[in-house]
Amino acid sequence: QQPVNPTASSVQEQQLLDALKPGETISGRISIPDDNAADLQKPSNKDWMGFNLKVSDRVMGVALVGTLLALLVFFVVKGRLKIEAGRAGRTITRFNVFERTVHWTMAISFIALALSGINVAVGRYIVLPWLGYEAFGSLTYLGKLAHHYLAWPFMVCVVITFLMWVRHNIPNKLDLRWLKEGGGLLVKGKHPPAKKFNAGQKIVFWGVVVGGSLVAASGLLLMFPYFLDSATDWQLAQIAHALIASGMMAMILGHIYIGTVGTEGALDAMTTGQVDVNWAEQHHSLWLEEELAKGAVQRRGPGGEVTPAE
Amino acid sequence: MLIKRKNIHASGTGGALAQSFLGMGQRKLDRRSFLRRSGVAVGGLAAVSSLSGGLFERAEAATPHDHAAPAERRKNMCTHCSVGCSVIAEVQNGVWVGQEPAFESPINRGSHCAKGASSREVVHGDRRLKYPMKKVGGDWVRITWDQALDEIGAKMLEIREKSGADSVYMLGSAKFTNEASYLFRKFAAFWGTNNVDHQARICHSTTVAGVANTWGYGAQTNSYNDIRNAKTIIFMGSNAAEAHPVAMQHILSGKETQRANVFVLDPRMTRTAAHATEFVRIRPGTDIAVIWGMLWHIFQNGWEDKEFIRKRVYGFDEAKAEIMKWNPAEVERVTGLKEEVVKRVAETFATVKPATFIWCMGGTQHTVGTANVRAYCTLLLATGNVGDIGMGANIFRGHTNVQGATDMGLDVGNLPCYYGLAPAAWAHWCRVWDVPFSYIESRFDEVPAKQGREARTRAQNMEVSGIPSTRWFDATMLDSEDVDQQDGVKAMIVFGHGANTIPRMKAAQNGMNALDLLVVADPHPTTFAALHTRTDNTYLLPICTNFEVAGTRTASNRSIQWGEKVVEPIFESDNDYAVIYRLSQRLGFADEMFKTFEMVDGKFSKEPTAESILREINRGGWSTGYTGQSPERLKAHMRNQHKFDIITLRAPKDDPEVGGDYYGLPWPCWGTPEMRHPGTHVLYNTNIPVAEGGGAFRPRFGLEREGVSLLAEDSWPVGSDIEDGYPEFTMALLQKLGWDSELTAEERAVIEKIGNNNPEAIAKVSWTLDLSGGIQRVAIKHGCVPFGNGKARVVAWNLPDPVPVHREPIYTPRPDLVADYPTREDGRQLRMPNIGHTVQARAVEQKLFEQFPTVLTSGRLVEFEGGGEETRSNPWLAELQQDMFCEVNTQDAAAKGIKDGSWIWVYGPEDNAKVRVKALVTDRVAPGVAFMPFHFAGWFMGEDQRGKYPQGTDPIVLGESVNAVTTYGYDPVTGMHEGKATLCRIEAAA
Amino acid sequence: MARMKFLCDADRCIECNACVTACKNEHEVPWGINRRRVVTINDGLPGERSVSMACMHCTDAPCAQVCPVNCFYTTNDGVVLHNKDTCIGCGYCFYACPFGAPQYPQASNFGSRGKMDKCTYCSGGPEEDLSIAEYEKYGANRLAEGKLPLCAEMCSTKSLLAGDGDIIAEIYRERVVTRGYGSGAWGWKTAYGETVNVSA
Ligand SMILES: Nc1nc2c(c(=O)[nH]1)N[C@H]1C(S)=C(S)[C@@H](COP(=O)(O)OP(=O)(O)OC[C@H]3O[C@@H](n4cnc5c(=O)[nH]c(N)nc54)[C@H](O)[C@@H]3O)O[C@H]1N2
Ligand SMILES: Nc1nc2c(c(=O)[nH]1)N[C@H]1C(S)=C(S)[C@@H](COP(=O)(O)OP(=O)(O)OC[C@H]3O[C@@H](n4cnc5c(=O)[nH]c(N)nc54)[C@H](O)[C@@H]3O)O[C@H]1N2
Ligand code: HEM
Ligand code: HEM
Ligand code: SF4
Ligand code: SF4
Ligand code: SF4
Ligand code: SF4
Ligand code: SF4
Ligand SMILES: [Mo]
Repeated sequence: QQPVNPTASSVQEQQLLDALKPGETISGRISIPDDNAADLQKPSNKDWMGFNLKVSDRVMGVALVGTLLALLVFFVVKGRLKIEAGRAGRTITRFNVFERTVHWTMAISFIALALSGINVAVGRYIVLPWLGYEAFGSLTYLGKLAHHYLAWPFMVCVVITFLMWVRHNIPNKLDLRWLKEGGGLLVKGKHPPAKKFNAGQKIVFWGVVVGGSLVAASGLLLMFPYFLDSATDWQLAQIAHALIASGMMAMILGHIYIGTVGTEGALDAMTTGQVDVNWAEQHHSLWLEEELAKGAVQRRGPGGEVTPAE
Repeated sequence: MLIKRKNIHASGTGGALAQSFLGMGQRKLDRRSFLRRSGVAVGGLAAVSSLSGGLFERAEAATPHDHAAPAERRKNMCTHCSVGCSVIAEVQNGVWVGQEPAFESPINRGSHCAKGASSREVVHGDRRLKYPMKKVGGDWVRITWDQALDEIGAKMLEIREKSGADSVYMLGSAKFTNEASYLFRKFAAFWGTNNVDHQARICHSTTVAGVANTWGYGAQTNSYNDIRNAKTIIFMGSNAAEAHPVAMQHILSGKETQRANVFVLDPRMTRTAAHATEFVRIRPGTDIAVIWGMLWHIFQNGWEDKEFIRKRVYGFDEAKAEIMKWNPAEVERVTGLKEEVVKRVAETFATVKPATFIWCMGGTQHTVGTANVRAYCTLLLATGNVGDIGMGANIFRGHTNVQGATDMGLDVGNLPCYYGLAPAAWAHWCRVWDVPFSYIESRFDEVPAKQGREARTRAQNMEVSGIPSTRWFDATMLDSEDVDQQDGVKAMIVFGHGANTIPRMKAAQNGMNALDLLVVADPHPTTFAALHTRTDNTYLLPICTNFEVAGTRTASNRSIQWGEKVVEPIFESDNDYAVIYRLSQRLGFADEMFKTFEMVDGKFSKEPTAESILREINRGGWSTGYTGQSPERLKAHMRNQHKFDIITLRAPKDDPEVGGDYYGLPWPCWGTPEMRHPGTHVLYNTNIPVAEGGGAFRPRFGLEREGVSLLAEDSWPVGSDIEDGYPEFTMALLQKLGWDSELTAEERAVIEKIGNNNPEAIAKVSWTLDLSGGIQRVAIKHGCVPFGNGKARVVAWNLPDPVPVHREPIYTPRPDLVADYPTREDGRQLRMPNIGHTVQARAVEQKLFEQFPTVLTSGRLVEFEGGGEETRSNPWLAELQQDMFCEVNTQDAAAKGIKDGSWIWVYGPEDNAKVRVKALVTDRVAPGVAFMPFHFAGWFMGEDQRGKYPQGTDPIVLGESVNAVTTYGYDPVTGMHEGKATLCRIEAAA
Repeated sequence: MARMKFLCDADRCIECNACVTACKNEHEVPWGINRRRVVTINDGLPGERSVSMACMHCTDAPCAQVCPVNCFYTTNDGVVLHNKDTCIGCGYCFYACPFGAPQYPQASNFGSRGKMDKCTYCSGGPEEDLSIAEYEKYGANRLAEGKLPLCAEMCSTKSLLAGDGDIIAEIYRERVVTRGYGSGAWGWKTAYGETVNVSA
């Protein structure tokens, strides 16, 4: 039993701070049964704040504004991709009702998630000034609810999308060629052959599946923080969520461009489910051949049905 | 707007506690709506009284605190501990809506601890007992006050008829005001028993016995404030940071400005120890060995204060014989402390002066409690550290008014103000009460001869101390032959005392079941309501708290403070004064007992005013100087708090109302109020005149022993006309000195009346019996202390172990030491057998230390108080300590696979005791030592007893009580339990 | 204008929790929400110190900077307050705060945590000073009544200091000089980017 002088040996805040590694907390004992409460001080929370302000928000800004600008430039330079052979007038079924429903459910929930997410991240810079505190508060509250509830259909759709389309999205040699030829953009009139999905679409597919899973995973951690061990984990999840979401949003902006103004005839695939044969010839030659071949046998394929134009 | 502020309400943190909230009929702890609800109880409640059933349906009376509207400020004191912090209540529409810091109080300067800062909730407490209840066939049923009191009164009379007055045990409270304490003691006297006690028994009874037997009075010699002057401070068995937090304000500032040495000698590295300049870990139960070890060095090195000893202390020669046995080797063998540590503490304490010694429950709650206390005093006397500022025995008292309740004689061996039980004392109080001695005598039992003990007449029985509260249940269970009174205990009348706070709860449970009548008069139901399996003859009477009644309380430093009524008693509760009155009506002596008081209309009945009770105390309290503190003077002090200096506690001399007074007129405040004695800040201080609060040691052990004088030599209070020691003042002494001529005619007339106009008897009238105060006045006029000028003594020849002797706790991990230091032989004390020696011998023989290898000690948490019924019902406090726990050393825990926060079983060596608690793994305790707080109850040996409380009165937090595993062991002088050193076994629970 | 701060002198703090219950009392803070709490570092070991912590009312408050709805504002006294009407309970401020100050009434996993609550330095919120609405949402506004925070006023040992930063720093500095030791102005570096210079 060595005597001690507690006054002289008392802990010094400065020493504790000096010994603190990033992400670590000065913690002690507290009688209330709340682990967070036992954390006295965690200076690195300010790093998370800083990262949020300086990196995440800017990355998001750049991802969104940059992509939009790039697409605008592209559109101005390249204009709309036409169906080179003009519309054949005959269509072929590309996506059935189920596929389209899944896609649109996913798309709408994604867009709502994205908008509400963007609002949470940077809304106060852009929306707040013209809505005012009250309205912006309500909007953000609604957005938050939307974000929390629409995440569920989104996640379900990502899973279905994966199951539904994965067999068309296994990468193969064709994709290399497609990529080398820049998807047909480099040489006018020359389109690389593609099956149901070309390499670009595969990228979107995998982007959505992988990115969607990650954003879902990180989002779930944000939503259920009590499964996390520490606030640091939450912060990492938040950073991951914001960055992955930014990437996905940029990618999906591109996807939406291509699916609408960018490519003539593309939208039909997701609206009516029928695409013009010439469009198919141009973008998915091998798929069209497969479908026709199937049609020769049966005129019915898993992808749908080829019908005369009349 | 879409965003509406959601009601912020309780979200339990899971587990047992959350369930307790859910159990409350989904009542969420939304404070604001609750406030409104509790407001309901104010106002016209008295009119509704017990007739209306729907107490809660009445109109919503109050809004929450409206800060824009004015609030009335009322001042009272925190009801929890002896520090005596002032509380300022803001009251709107009769509801206590806010609490403000009382910066003007020299004691707390606005500060509080967790308990005081949540005082408001004490009154709003929705877990309080709301109306009288009784058990009918095992269920709690609401009844009216009149029905309750009629039935209780009838039953008491029936028991008295069968078994005598002594078979009704009156357990009072250290939570009482002085006035209620006094009334309760008077009530017991009028009923005819000395079986009246309160918490001091289990708290500082050993201090009072030990200190009074050393130098005169059983009280803290100095004050919390005065510790600011100390240069060396020892805490031994006191964890003031948790138990007297606001005292730490003075101590820590003193430590800083004086750069004082602060030693904490404690088995645990406490929150107090964290602020020590040296922490010395000791083994529980070895205090005497440590102190004697220190004194060994002091005498070896001549560090003792020889002059002081020569002038003012008797008996060191005899004491040294024992002390010098404690050489460093023996000290180390018994305590484990190294020579240099003991020497350093000793040298500093003896040489860096002034030095003060602070003790509390770590010293008192032992089978050697009284001896511990005397050892501490011996150290103070050897080093000359008593009787001046910055030094002294700073005994930190317990409850808010444990000092006052003790002073008022809520004690098995005393009448108010330490008059004892001798015929002269009874005669004195009979004069004050204005009843013939024969009347009181007729109220007492005759005791038949039992087991060879002599029979007692009524008058003899009046002189025999009662049964200590630690043994009441033994007195119900033991064969009536074994209990030294007419019959065993048949009824418990409990005013403000827990049942989880006395060791051996299994025995207490059996005792409760065996009673014919159990009455609990308390703001809360307490464990007395929940522990047993009684089905009938069990009553709960809702008493209001001290905030709902006016009265005084005496803080640890003997300052007496007047508390204003803050709000009317809430629900159907009523104050102690009224309830004692109404009960005595049923028992047939109300008129006799209350005729001396001013009676006014109370909530349900007539009641005595606090002022008139205090005046009666003033009329009789000469022996302790409770006479100068009139209601007027005390109220003036509360008004002028800001004028008192925070170090000297004195008001400037020129102040018209309180000029020169010490704050709260700390007793002794001699003479009549008109004499304007300032009170005594520092006891036994010869450096200032008696009229200014000076004094000397009180010669109360005779004038000489074995031819040696017991009066002071060459020492007297400054300005004394007698420049030497002298005995207490009597009429005879005045006559001898020729000072009796200075008595006024009125004074003389009173004295002559007391002496029945018989010259011999008149000569014997002393300063304590003189109801005129003349003797005191004249003595003080001559600069003399009324009680005399004697020596303190370090040999108390009337006590067991006249010089303290180390004795191992009954259950000790060191059976090897029991051979050398056994506990005292079996005997009979305070009407009961004490078989401690047999129990210890059996424990050693059965090698219980092998099955129960861990030393168990117990004590306090800052958030909870006492049995914890009030504080565990206060959500602001309950939230901070939601689980009963046991501190387990980190190494011990690792060895047993126990994780911090996990459940463990703690087994005790008696009655197959076991408790299920959470482990708090910490190095606060040493390996082999465990600590449990004692504030929990409501679980018993693994069983949840929530359902046994009347609905809605169960405290928020329940837990096992440590006293389910604490064990046998009683101090032979006072019957103090062994609360701080026993053995246990700890195992991880599934 | 005064710049209000807290300073917990850990060499005085005895973990008595008066500051905690005083706050509960003054503002009727419900179960589960702790605007202030006391943490003991090195519990049971010789270097043990307890520190009372609440919102430090930081300079460039991190909470304010991450709040998606910008509901924080800093008063003229340097007190960081927030508007419960617009708070969406997202929890961001909790994660940004170095001191764990923000508290939430609901501890449920999914969905809202409810309106954030934290120490207001006893100075209410955006509602009209001393109105009932202000009291119900934010508790009392002692500053408006010319009083200081109750937690500090009731501190058992005068460990917890509240008031103008310069003044309390000076009190602390004097104490350290008088007694010769000091474990630091806990939290000041992190909250204000400065600490109290105690060299005489
Ligand atoms: N918060 C709070 N404050 C209170 C009370 C309360 O219930 N709660 N109760 C009031 C009352 S009634 C009282 S009496 C006081 C009591 O106040 P304290 O006596 O200060 O409190 P305890 O915690 O019982 O015990 C003090 C210390 O004694 C140590 N100890 C244990 N065994 C031994 C031993 O053998 N020798 C020595 N030297 N020390 C030992 C313990 O480790 C503990 O730290 O507090 C008063 N204040
Ligand atoms: N193991 C172990 N046991 C111990 C101790 C220990 O350290 N260890 N400490 C011991 C000590 S020092 C003490 S003092 C005791 C304390 O133990 P108890 O005195 O049993 O504990 P309290 O809960 O304070 O009891 C006071 C009761 O008075 C009630 N009350 C409050 N105000 C009033 C009032 O105005 N009138 C009435 N009629 N009632 C009122 C309260 O509601 C409460 O029920 O415990 C002792 N027991
Ligand atoms: C308004 C927005 C959108 C439009 C107009 C749109 C349009 C389309 C079109 C036309 C196709 C079919 C391309 C083809 O025939 O091969 C398609 C496919 C697809 N869409 Fe969308 N889409 C939108 C939003 C989204 C969103 C938000 C996601 C995912 C988060 C998404 C994921 C996919 C995937 C994975 C495919 C299959 C792979 C591919 O064709 O690239 N879409 N979309
Ligand atoms: C799939 C499941 C998803 C879940 C469970 C989820 C969950 C969350 C949660 C809990 C937050 C924290 C903010 C709040 O509480 O409102 C958040 C923020 C955010 N989410 Fe999601 N989210 C999901 C998907 C997405 C998607 C698909 C996007 C956009 C592409 C997205 C973009 C954002 C953004 C930008 C933020 C704000 C991050 C910041 O403040 O920097 N989230 N999300
Ligand atoms: S419990 Fe004691 S120290 Fe705490 S506020 Fe009450 S009187 Fe003061
Ligand atoms: S302490 Fe936390 S909540 Fe308070 S101002 Fe600083 S960051 Fe914000
Ligand atoms: S919880 Fe409220 S105050 Fe905190 S960051 Fe979110 S919206 Fe802002
Ligand atoms: S300043 Fe006021 S609100 Fe903040 S912790 Fe102290 S008492 Fe609570
Ligand atoms: S009131 Fe003071 S001493 Fe007590 S815990 Fe709070 S800061 Fe520490
Ligand atoms: Mo006590």
